[in-house]
Amino acid sequence: MIEVRGLAKSFAAPAPKRDGGWRAWARSRGKPAVAALTAASAAPRIHAVRDVSFDAPNGRITGLLGPNGAGKTTTLRMLAALITPEAGTMRVDDIDVVARPREVLARMGVLSDSRGLYPRLTARENIVYYGALHGMEREAADARAQDLARMFDMTALLDRRAAGFSQGERMKTALVRALVHDPANIVLDEPTNGLDVLATRALRESLRWLRSPEGGAKCIVFSTHIMQEVERLCDRVVVVAHGRTVATGTVSELLAETDERDFEEAFVKLAFVPERAAAGAAT
Amino acid sequence: MKRSLAAVWVVLRKELSDALRDRRTLATVLVSSVLMGPLVLLAISGLVASLESRAEQREVYIAGVANAPTLRNFLERQTYVVKEAPADFEARLRRSTFSDPVVVVPADFEAALVRGDVPVVEIVSDSANQRSEASTARIERLLGGFSRERALLGLALRGVSAQLLEPMQIEDRDLASTQTRATRITGMLPYFVMMAVLYGALTAALDTTAGERERGSLEPLLMNPTERWALVAGKWGAVACVSVLIAILSCFSFLPGQWVLRSDTLAAMFQYGPREAALFIVILLPLAAALAAVLMAVAIRSRSFKEAQASSTIVVLAVSLLPLVNVFDLGGEAPWHLWAPALAQNTLMTRVLKGEALGLEQVLIPLGVCIALTAIGVWYVARELHLAAVK
Repeated sequence: MIEVRGLAKSFAAPAPKRDGGWRAWARSRGKPAVAALTAASAAPRIHAVRDVSFDAPNGRITGLLGPNGAGKTTTLRMLAALITPEAGTMRVDDIDVVARPREVLARMGVLSDSRGLYPRLTARENIVYYGALHGMEREAADARAQDLARMFDMTALLDRRAAGFSQGERMKTALVRALVHDPANIVLDEPTNGLDVLATRALRESLRWLRSPEGGAKCIVFSTHIMQEVERLCDRVVVVAHGRTVATGTVSELLAETDERDFEEAFVKLAFVPERAAAGAAT
Repeated sequence: MKRSLAAVWVVLRKELSDALRDRRTLATVLVSSVLMGPLVLLAISGLVASLESRAEQREVYIAGVANAPTLRNFLERQTYVVKEAPADFEARLRRSTFSDPVVVVPADFEAALVRGDVPVVEIVSDSANQRSEASTARIERLLGGFSRERALLGLALRGVSAQLLEPMQIEDRDLASTQTRATRITGMLPYFVMMAVLYGALTAALDTTAGERERGSLEPLLMNPTERWALVAGKWGAVACVSVLIAILSCFSFLPGQWVLRSDTLAAMFQYGPREAALFIVILLPLAAALAAVLMAVAIRSRSFKEAQASSTIVVLAVSLLPLVNVFDLGGEAPWHLWAPALAQNTLMTRVLKGEALGLEQVLIPLGVCIALTAIGVWYVARELHLAAVK
């Protein structure tokens, strides 16, 4: 179970390319020194996440839907204790992420935005390494890798080195690696990126199974910008735009809310129209 | 704590097997660092052997032998073989195809000698031609002998004691032991061993930090419930292990290297046995640990392997240049040498080669410096790790 409340995070904007030192100096001549200093310190900040809140219960698949740059990846990175939020709380199985990150990570399997493998290790070694880092015995991790490989139809890959893997093969290996310690909470950042139709279908099937009581009734959160994924898979949808949660509900609830029949139309209304309104208000 | 230590071991094992599977890089390091030393040793032994055989040959090349029967007579009495120099000796000396200095005798040599004029004899060598340069001093001494003999004869004819010409006697006494003298030639050996340590650590250090970032595997790695310091300690341990492994190979590669020494004197002077090799390794262990940590600290800020290579150049340069203070003997051994990593190890290894004992202070100062560097490096990498993952 994952609860996120009022999450916010901003970053210093990358410094714009500066003029040559002497030119800047020439321009600043005659200006009071204090003004030059404040201009430098007031560098613009990018508010990646302003106010994101959602609940992801066990045995449900919660989709984080938002356009590119909406703040999904930053939110998930904060959830994985990789960056510290400026405001808000995150609790996983009632454990605070910021206060006890390691306990949280032990209960969570995260497929992050970057999913690099070690090219000189075999898929099995890649997976067992993470199992060992979670404190599993090598044999147990190996057995688990074998089971998961069967589930994701990649048994043939297990003893090949990751160097020559295709995008889909890398993705599967990374996913199995994230699930090796049988976590109760599964967080996936755009898992279908780069997967073909069959692989996407297989992934969907696996996620449905993991959600079911036989599969362990996991709490699954995944982010995506693809409508169909959400329609086909998610029990709950959290629409994120411009760093804020703009709507929450089932697909049919969101359709009802926006008075639309097509989910894509509903999404555009939810994610982009308020933005246009805001832009209009600003000008 | 116990769990973290187990994690250190897990990371170390993985990084080590990962590094050892990078066959191409390992092969390059092995060839460049491990084979290089013995090869250079072999080349130097070849040079020394050729110098020795030249000294044994007792030959003098003279341009215009016919002009100087007296000189020829003197040289032959010193059991030297006098040979006429080839006509184009100057060009050949410049091209280094001719390796003996040439004595040029003017046409009126005999007549001037008889008249008591001072004829000028030239010794032609090329200071860029090392082998001809080496024999010049010998020829100079020989010609000096001729001059002295002529002077003595002149004085004796006039009834003057030869002692007037030499009011004092000069004798050489060399304080250096055979081993000390040998270090003039074998002094480059510690340098090669140290390069092996450096290049052994370099690739592994870059791969476990910048390489991990470039592959995008750092972010998922940090999503494991492992303490940051445990991750870094494991990585550091693996890099240091690879570096030490290369160092051991390099140190022992000189053992068979000396069997093929072509110069007997060099072989006799070159005292490098298993004991010296073992001492070398003990001296190098802390350096390997420190270099691993420092290189990782430099590389963690780089986003790609290539960028890391560029920024690690400064470390590589420092480690390559510092020992040269010793090799070129700039101002002899100074106390600060022990405080500079690489230079300190070079100094200690040179002492081992000279057969001198190592004092406690000489061991403890470099050890302390290396431990401090290691701690700072590991701390810095652990601090930067999270930042590096998301940037």
